[in-house]
Amino acid sequence: MKVSVSQQQLAHGLGVVSRAVNPRSTLPVLGNILIATDEGRLRLSATNLELGITCWIPAQITEEGSVTMPARTFTDLISTFPNDTVVMNLDARTQTMTVRCGFNSTDIKGIDAQEFPPIPVPDLSAGVTLNMADFREMIQQVVFAASTDETRPVLQGVMTTIANNEVALAATDGFRISIRKLPLAAPFEKTYNLIIPARALSELARIAVDGDQTLTMNVPPGRGQVIFHLKNTEVVSQLIDGNFPDYRAIIPRSFKTHTVLSRGEFLNACKQAEIIARETNNVIRMEIKTNPDRPGEIKISAQAEQTGSSDVNLDANVDGEGITIAFNVRFLREVLDVVKTPSVVLETNAHNTPAILKPVGDDTFTHVIMPMHLG
Amino acid sequence: MHIQRLPDDVASQIAAGEVVERPASVVKELVENALDAGASQIVIRIEQAGKSLIEVADDGRGIPLEDLDLAVTKHATSKLRTAEDLFHIQTLGFRGEALASIGSISRLTLISRTAEQKMGGKIIVDGGKLVLREQIGAPVGTIIQVQNMFYNVPARLKFLKRDSTERQQIENFISRYAIAYPLIRFLLVVDGKNVFQTNGKGNQREIVAQLYGIDLARQMLEVNLEEDDLQIRGLISPISLTRSNRKEITFFINGRWVQDTPLISALLQAYHTLLMVGRYPMAVLFIELPPEDVDVNVHPAKAEVRFRNPDRLFSTVQRAVRRALMAHSPVPIMQSSGWQSPRLNSWEGERIPDPAWQMQIQTPSGPLSSMDDTAMPGKPDEQSAPQASPIPSGQIPLLRLIGQVGGVYLVAEGPDGIYLIDQHAAHERVLFEKLMHQQGSLVMQPLLSPIVIHLPPAQSSLLAEQLVALSHLGFQVDEFGTNTFRIHSIPAMFSTGDPAAAIRSLVEDFEEDETPFQEEIETKIAARVCKRMAVKAGQAMALEEQKALIRELEACESPRTCPHGRPTMILLSVDLLERQFGRRGSR
Repeated sequence: MKVSVSQQQLAHGLGVVSRAVNPRSTLPVLGNILIATDEGRLRLSATNLELGITCWIPAQITEEGSVTMPARTFTDLISTFPNDTVVMNLDARTQTMTVRCGFNSTDIKGIDAQEFPPIPVPDLSAGVTLNMADFREMIQQVVFAASTDETRPVLQGVMTTIANNEVALAATDGFRISIRKLPLAAPFEKTYNLIIPARALSELARIAVDGDQTLTMNVPPGRGQVIFHLKNTEVVSQLIDGNFPDYRAIIPRSFKTHTVLSRGEFLNACKQAEIIARETNNVIRMEIKTNPDRPGEIKISAQAEQTGSSDVNLDANVDGEGITIAFNVRFLREVLDVVKTPSVVLETNAHNTPAILKPVGDDTFTHVIMPMHLG
Repeated sequence: MHIQRLPDDVASQIAAGEVVERPASVVKELVENALDAGASQIVIRIEQAGKSLIEVADDGRGIPLEDLDLAVTKHATSKLRTAEDLFHIQTLGFRGEALASIGSISRLTLISRTAEQKMGGKIIVDGGKLVLREQIGAPVGTIIQVQNMFYNVPARLKFLKRDSTERQQIENFISRYAIAYPLIRFLLVVDGKNVFQTNGKGNQREIVAQLYGIDLARQMLEVNLEEDDLQIRGLISPISLTRSNRKEITFFINGRWVQDTPLISALLQAYHTLLMVGRYPMAVLFIELPPEDVDVNVHPAKAEVRFRNPDRLFSTVQRAVRRALMAHSPVPIMQSSGWQSPRLNSWEGERIPDPAWQMQIQTPSGPLSSMDDTAMPGKPDEQSAPQASPIPSGQIPLLRLIGQVGGVYLVAEGPDGIYLIDQHAAHERVLFEKLMHQQGSLVMQPLLSPIVIHLPPAQSSLLAEQLVALSHLGFQVDEFGTNTFRIHSIPAMFSTGDPAAAIRSLVEDFEEDETPFQEEIETKIAARVCKRMAVKAGQAMALEEQKALIRELEACESPRTCPHGRPTMILLSVDLLERQFGRRGSR
């Protein structure tokens, strides 16, 4: 193999794929990045067997070939090079690659590309096309609610449903659930119910650059995998096998109290209360009060025996009965962080039934939180 | 006193003591009889843990009318003719003692009819004496009722354990046999409630699923090895699925449940080095070997057996288990068709520490261990200066975190030396004190939708007794049908972690020890839950988390030990370090 590439593009490509490298794997080849010539471009791939990322960069190819390079060594070397042309020359017999840039010449020992796990190729014609900017926003609005607990793999995933020309993402850790929907731009006849690891979706959102306007999602039949195809990048993820909780049944249908407040003020109040509340399991108490002659108000209070106490008062439009309800303030803060509209509505029934928080004037996003119970 | 021959009833009461020890042994004898009679359905009814009623009804061959009297007398059996037969016994029973023994210590009713006879027969034996014998209409098969067990042996009655314990024994026994005989329909009715039922379709995995839940059953590995006349089949747990005791290891030899310690050791040997210390696998193994190679006539209750060639048997068991384990090795295996998920589907969530790290600790000449040796209290050169902790109680000084070692220990500096902190034990202590202090200001985090867990009958009756104690700690759990529970909320401090796993391990702990005093139970539960929820050895922690853990540990009342009494920290005192480095002579 003999190729020349731009240092800048190579460094960027390595940055994209290196997130899928597993340096502590028992299989040495998984600590490496695959470098291969591919129809006039250079292909970089990394995988930890759960998540795989491939990136193509422009290259001038003198001789076809492929090899895997130790990720850390190779990436560190390339990042120190000046913005110039990098020439790579592989000695196929010893699997050693000579990397030259400027006055530097470094020999790096690789592992045979044959040992690298094969990466599936998507069938783009069978895939569903999504708007990248929209999908990235959707991902950001749900992934934080997924569980980080390794003992419950299903909840570490995001339920991704494609049906009735609509895509829906939902993630839950058992205490709250975040649901975001979006109509598809073009009709799609197949139905999918997939549990995609939250981590894979986060990586996808991170990788997508402004040049990526659309992405194609493809589910090869019978493989238990999903492939996201972007212009110059592909992300492959194992799907999680299991039963995702039926979240439609959890969403309450009617409410006794509607409270509309400013997202910014509410978020600030939560941040302030959290400073005290983090000492005491993040509990805050929220008093929603109605006033006969003027708009209602909300008092958010937190108390910690050793640190002190905090009270924040907010104006709000309260419709319905007053209520006192306790929440994990971190849950509130995290959802308010991803809501885009200036106002949000909090819908509640009782102190021990699920509450809904959603943006005003946007029906596509719903967040359900289970209140806390003070004994 | 003159020597005299004992009256019959006294002699048979003594003999009964060997066979009939507790209600579970009666159930065992009767169910084994039913199995020997070729039943396809066995219904077991117990009331008051078997003390007031045990009824076993089967649809087997039945006993001919004219033999009924004989069936309840001593040494009467249809399963054996000559002494020679003893060496190739194919049936579960053979001694001809059970019914006579049971009859001598209870009121025994026997109703039976064979397919050939039009009328069935009924006899009642009360305290060893025949009180009734009549013809009666009855379905084909045998129904045996044992009422008022031990009413004439008050000493025995006194030695019975609590009802719940006796009931568990029975439930345990029935579940084991249900797995072993998947083609037979079992129904267990306890105090009028259907506790457990199998469909007789022959799928062992399905029965395991019923007992332990589908997830677990799916993970179990199949063992199948046939060598000459020896056959080993069954299900074993993968290494990611472990228990804290050996109670879930079951052996059946030629269809008979035996509790044989050497066999269990052979199984554990096969798991050797694969499991963490103190964790045990689950297994149900069925061994078939020629009847003449095993002597079951050793113990009246036949729980123990002797083998003609034990070494061969043990090594074959080991090989069979090891082979099944290796075939499902968790190391990711690459396949050309795509990738395999390397996810260790860790049902227990226990991480196995990196073996490389373990090796380092164990190296005898390593600097760490040599320090450890000298640091052990009780060495002759011990001085008044603070030695290696644990020092029993008292607060610890402010510590400055240095870092994490091997994902297992935290290293911190204090005014008096270096503290090595076991992150798991330390976190356990922190959680434990928090949990115990929240009494009164209890904060619970309810779940969006309750988590349903399924337990084997024996475990579920244990859990059912502790629901109140659990709710005091913030776990709201209620019964949701037979052997099924719903978890509604958990203490807010545990909002990460798997509630179902916590409850399961709690129940295992209950199984371990018999009767903790009620007031101790809550503390025990709390300690157990904290162990489950605490950060594990081998889990990398962010710097912030490490700092927070040390801060919280400093605030604990007794920070130096975990709730189970293990030390959370070892102090390498300045004095000790100076002597080790030869900066100061050890005068």
